[in-house]
Amino acid sequence: MLSGSCLCGGVRYEIAGRLTGALNCHCSMCRKAHGAAFRSRARVRAADFRWVRGEELLAWYESSPGTHRGFCRVCGSKLLSRFDRGPSAYGLPLGALDGDPGVKPALHVFVAHKAPWFQISDRLPQHAELPR
Amino acid sequence: MIRGSCLCQAVRFEIVGKLSAASHCHCSMCRKAHGAAFGTYAAAKAEDFRVVSGEDLIMRYRSSPGIVRTFCARCGSTLQWLRESKPEIVDIALGVLDDDPGVRPAAHIYVGSKAPWYEITGGLPRHEAGAVTQQGN
Repeated sequence: MLSGSCLCGGVRYEIAGRLTGALNCHCSMCRKAHGAAFRSRARVRAADFRWVRGEELLAWYESSPGTHRGFCRVCGSKLLSRFDRGPSAYGLPLGALDGDPGVKPALHVFVAHKAPWFQISDRLPQHAELPR
Repeated sequence: MIRGSCLCQAVRFEIVGKLSAASHCHCSMCRKAHGAAFGTYAAAKAEDFRVVSGEDLIMRYRSSPGIVRTFCARCGSTLQWLRESKPEIVDIALGVLDDDPGVRPAAHIYVGSKAPWYEITGGLPRHEAGAVTQQGN
């Protein structure tokens, strides 16, 4: 069982299944949302995901139509994205995980939009936009 | 002038001076706060830093004694890392900058706490814990 929690410990979740599609996203919205060089995320099936505590502490920001980014309103930790057009799966930022998810980001996407101050130095495939 | 803003654009700030001492921090608190592989910060003089809009939306969370992390209450963007004993310095999360900060991260710090799913590559120095990094430019 994989679990994750926010910085203040108020919100905690568990994931019963596997994560898939792990990648690093360099788009400007992800960089701004996380305040970081890039966002590392994976896909999790909604049926496998469960809030253990603190669901009432989540704030949701609709960053583009139908995409909602959830964060802890106490400490600001970025925790989950949900999609109106694909409610059967969530986008999971890897940074709040407490254990090893067993997967690693396998590619970089939206590299055309990456931060000028960050140099990608690994050998993972790089895509200028989102590959089809 | 270096400008920054959160994802929802409610919080906007400006830095009139130069940024210095940029580094990638892999500590577990930065990873959780950002929800990312690591946080990247650079230092500004507080006198050079000005909030242009949305000051009332800047939430403060004291993550350890004397350390405050800020974020936008509306969209959650991580903004700053502040040491209460050193109010003359503001550490800025580079991810929310709209302009090129000029400086480049010079080291990875707290690599002993890095995420198991992230491999550090490249030639920057790596420090097990915190290290004072001096950026030359």
